[in-house]
Amino acid sequence: MNRPLDRILYAEDEPDIQEVAVLALETVGEFNLKLCNTGKEAVAAAPEYKPDLLLFDVMMPEMDGPTAFQEIRTLPGMESIPVIFMTAKVQPEEIAKYKELGALDVIPKPFDPMNLAQAVRDCWNKQ
Amino acid sequence: MDESKKKELLLKLENSKKNYKNQLPNKILKIEQTWDLLINDPWDQDRFITFHRMVHTIAGSSGTFGLPAVGDVARQLEIIVKGQLELEEEPSVHIREKIHDELLNLSSITNKSIQTDTPPITVTNELEQQQLHHVNKDENNLIYFVEEDEELSLELATQISHYGYRVQTFNTLKQFFKAMKKDEPAIILMDVILSDGDGCEAVNEIQKDRATSIPTIFISEKSELTTRLNAAKAGGEEFFTKPLNVTDLVDKLDKFVQADDNEPFRILIVDDSVSMAQHFSLILQQTGMETAVVTDPLTVMEPLDNFRPDLILMDIYMPGCSGLELAKVIRQQEAFVSVPIVYLSGETDLKKQLAAMSLGGDDFLTKPIQPEHLVLSVTSRVKRSRILRNFMIRDGLTGLYNHTQTKEFLDMEIARAKRDNTQLAFAMVDMDKFKLVNDTYGHPTGDRVIKSLARLLKQRLRKSDIVGRYGGEEFAVILPNTNATTAEKILNEIRIAFGKISHKYKDILFNKTFSCGVAVYPGFADGTELNNAADNALYEAKEGGRNRVVFATETST
Repeated sequence: MNRPLDRILYAEDEPDIQEVAVLALETVGEFNLKLCNTGKEAVAAAPEYKPDLLLFDVMMPEMDGPTAFQEIRTLPGMESIPVIFMTAKVQPEEIAKYKELGALDVIPKPFDPMNLAQAVRDCWNKQ
Repeated sequence: MDESKKKELLLKLENSKKNYKNQLPNKILKIEQTWDLLINDPWDQDRFITFHRMVHTIAGSSGTFGLPAVGDVARQLEIIVKGQLELEEEPSVHIREKIHDELLNLSSITNKSIQTDTPPITVTNELEQQQLHHVNKDENNLIYFVEEDEELSLELATQISHYGYRVQTFNTLKQFFKAMKKDEPAIILMDVILSDGDGCEAVNEIQKDRATSIPTIFISEKSELTTRLNAAKAGGEEFFTKPLNVTDLVDKLDKFVQADDNEPFRILIVDDSVSMAQHFSLILQQTGMETAVVTDPLTVMEPLDNFRPDLILMDIYMPGCSGLELAKVIRQQEAFVSVPIVYLSGETDLKKQLAAMSLGGDDFLTKPIQPEHLVLSVTSRVKRSRILRNFMIRDGLTGLYNHTQTKEFLDMEIARAKRDNTQLAFAMVDMDKFKLVNDTYGHPTGDRVIKSLARLLKQRLRKSDIVGRYGGEEFAVILPNTNATTAEKILNEIRIAFGKISHKYKDILFNKTFSCGVAVYPGFADGTELNNAADNALYEAKEGGRNRVVFATETST
């Protein structure tokens, strides 16, 4: 069993989705959450926030989720930080691709807000 | 998740959904404007990338906000746009047209999806208005009744409205056509002959431009073949001759309105891959099913008990224990012997598939599976298993739960109330002097009276309430999450409504009443105590003069 999941660095560019996901993760999941609007913001915020887990949307302006994830992994102390991607593309080959990058799993969009926190927790527990 | 948090979240989600819906037309407009700029200005690839992102966002978000149809169309559009984007060149005329068409489609589906959500404005009868808090508002229960004879139309409308329908009456076709422009009813009740025209022609006129017709019941003085033929040609589903039998009429109305009134299918998904499980879950949810997901097969027992799935969708290869072993364990418990288990797997070897079925599985679906295929397989299996189950747990005459099943539900609901720390009301309802009906008018009439009370109880209560036929003329009602004050209000409303319903034997009209005894959890701690207390209260109601609702007091037992 892993240590319990607490701090999540969450990057998503769409305000509507942000709102619902933050609700789902903070209210239901009781996680500590740091919200970023872009992949770039997430890279900048990571060293200070020291998250347990990255939860990244794949498609974001400026820098997409996978690129941001790879940059964060080059930072000191973050070499093995786990990531979960969220994306509207759930083709098996896409999932395989992200898993190869090191993702714990991929949560497809649109997601069910009532189940999101549990889905994240399930991914975490399976490490 | 604890109950209060769940409520809070649901409330907030409703708000976000509303906001999203309000803003959506504007977002679609911006997408359209971006496209207009793209095709009117010299081609700008960066702008096209922005366009793609805007569409992609709608595709990924609208499902979450309860607009899956919009999401589907947006996804169609995104696929076209993405294909073009990868070519890195200006789109051909053909592709432009395709994008243009999908944009139109997107805008129209958006308008439709948003509109279906605004509550219709309708006139309801007075009794109904007090009731609305307890009537399922999502359901269209509006009836347009076109009948020249004012007295008859009013009388019949009142009778029908006791069953939870909202009836608007019209004495001329002119009024009817005017109303049709504003609001559409679930059912039309139409006399064939009216002072300003022919009822059949009027219905023909209404139906001819519609994709799906509004169910129509025709009423006529005479039962001549030509009249019946005309009515059938106009798409009449039923034909009634005067004088009308209200019970039979309401029976038909119920059939039209409640065609999809079944509880949503509950599907339990057992798959160790979170993404696959979520994927299946969403596909099924978008068709209106409820889902629960288990990604650790060893934790499957709890959702089995609490979620009570209609069907289990199970991955075969999972860490810890295989789907086959799990099916075997599930099947060892009597309560789950009849729940269909469908395996999902990449296994295409027929021999292995058969081996899997012999261990208690019902079918095999091979991954990757088409969404439509998944939905179809699940639907057909759940339908069949529900039919079989219905024979086991329902009463043949009324379709209500039988005695055994009602008691089982009572225990389940008490357990839930205990868990959630809520109250629960249990009521026993018994028709007053029912034997008289059977003795005077015969059993067929008695059965119709029983059915009318059964129907009234079902119509007037929430979907989450449980109604059972305890035997003979006795019914049991379980009202979860309900305190004594609310229970009293609801049950008295039903009691008064039932007293107003006219039953018919040949040309004789008569009314019946019922008595009701109620006990509330946690005042009474378990099923047996609640049952006894409600039974005693019912006895008191009978002794006190019948046609009343009596509550058990905690000291009276």
